[in-house]
Amino acid sequence: MFTEEITRLIELLQFPFMQRALWGGLILGLLGGLLGSFAILRQLSFFSHTVGHAALLGIVLGVLLNLDPTLTLLPFTVLFGLGVIYLIDQTDLWSDTVLNIVFSASLASAVIALSFVKSYQGNLMNLLFGDILAIRYGDLWLSLAVLIVAIASLGLTLWAQTLLTLHEEMAKAQGINVRLHQTWFVILLSLAVAVAIKAVGVLLVNAFLVIPAATAKLLSQQFTAFIVLSSVIGAVSAVAGIVTSAALNVSSGPSIVVAQFILFVFAVLFSRFNQQLKRDR
Amino acid sequence: METVLAIEDLNVYRGAYAAVQNVSFTLKAGTDTALIGPNGAGKSTLVKAILGILPRHSGSIALLGQSVDRSRHLPSRLQQQIAYLPQNFLFDRGIPMTVAELVDLGWGKSGLRLPWEARPQRVRAVQEALAQVKASHLINQPIKGLSGGEIKRVLLAYCIVRPRRLLILDEAPAGLDFQSEAEFYQLLNQLKSDYGWAILQISHDLDIVSRHCDRVICLNRSIICQGSPDTVLLPENLVAAYSPEFTRYHHNH
Repeated sequence: MFTEEITRLIELLQFPFMQRALWGGLILGLLGGLLGSFAILRQLSFFSHTVGHAALLGIVLGVLLNLDPTLTLLPFTVLFGLGVIYLIDQTDLWSDTVLNIVFSASLASAVIALSFVKSYQGNLMNLLFGDILAIRYGDLWLSLAVLIVAIASLGLTLWAQTLLTLHEEMAKAQGINVRLHQTWFVILLSLAVAVAIKAVGVLLVNAFLVIPAATAKLLSQQFTAFIVLSSVIGAVSAVAGIVTSAALNVSSGPSIVVAQFILFVFAVLFSRFNQQLKRDR
Repeated sequence: METVLAIEDLNVYRGAYAAVQNVSFTLKAGTDTALIGPNGAGKSTLVKAILGILPRHSGSIALLGQSVDRSRHLPSRLQQQIAYLPQNFLFDRGIPMTVAELVDLGWGKSGLRLPWEARPQRVRAVQEALAQVKASHLINQPIKGLSGGEIKRVLLAYCIVRPRRLLILDEAPAGLDFQSEAEFYQLLNQLKSDYGWAILQISHDLDIVSRHCDRVICLNRSIICQGSPDTVLLPENLVAAYSPEFTRYHHNH
């Protein structure tokens, strides 16, 4: 039972593309878990969803301009993210209303722009659902750089970021430059979305940010433990998803998301069981 | 007594509306001052302008003798001298955070620092602050399980976890039971008498104000009157500040 799958998996692990995919999953899982932990508490999950879908427009623009889409994607997502925050600030509409408008407009623009593309060698399915097995060393280094910048900047400003997450007005009263920290976080979030697109695609990129963090939130009582656990769950589910996809010969991006979802369901059941135990004591 | 805060001719607008007009007062070290007035009188706006959360249109603010630039937020050195508890401490009750972590946030300072910087001093300061508010037993509790009264105590510990000179409370004791309220004011008395803190508190409870505060500022966009509770909490002043229908005034002198 499973002998054939295990043999194939061992063979696959010898290939550099598989090793790159595992490193990519590890790095992106850590990055998504780290940023996602702050993002879900600040109710930014729909924001990252919008940026993820708008990334399609960034990729298409790169193709139209005959540039490497990775090069256009990063500045595009950052500018797009900052633009969305500016629009939210400039209106008295609810942020999810503005996000819905921008989400639809950017997706529509991407589809129109796509119709001008004469020949695109990339696969549309890879854009939508990602292919971490196709990740290159350049992508790995880029993801690692974003992860290091995220760890360093959030680590050094952990006090400000935590207080800002808990209560914005108290953060302002403590002299924290709230606008600066919020803007920087949006830039980090946009960069994370951009580098994760290749692995899980436009449609599933938000899962990298939301599911590990939501899972960790169900299991944590401490803030620092929550951030660490979210990152670990992100990394473990990514590696588990890649290994499973290789063993069963199915798509890698969706496999990672299914692995994240399974962990989430276990966390729900575990937290319910834990609450019941406490009530019974 | 040293002047902790000096406000001169302060004007604050919310949009086109003049929410605070020509307000001047000083707070001395070791005093507890109540800011009273009807809803919409500009009390919270005034406090936010002092804290640099809202910009001021004109007037001057000096903290510990240092004038605060109108175009900027308070310098971080001065900001560290102020503790503030907002009126509505609404937060995601599901946020995974312990009482110790919340109180530790009050110890923080602006700028870059490693998360483990001064860890032993911070741990000790958190323990002492929680002991002062009689909440040591809550130290490892998650904040999502706390009652309203426990949250108030923990937030007060957040304010006192490091030495300050000015404590600003926006209806902080509201919702506390009689015993907790008495302990709350006992602690405030200790802060002002033993450590020389100046306290500015927004309150709607005139009975509490008359019993616990040294000075009262009656505000309705501009200052109606200010002075000791005996001289300010008079029916004619309160009618002028609140409305002609203001008749149900009781306090125990």
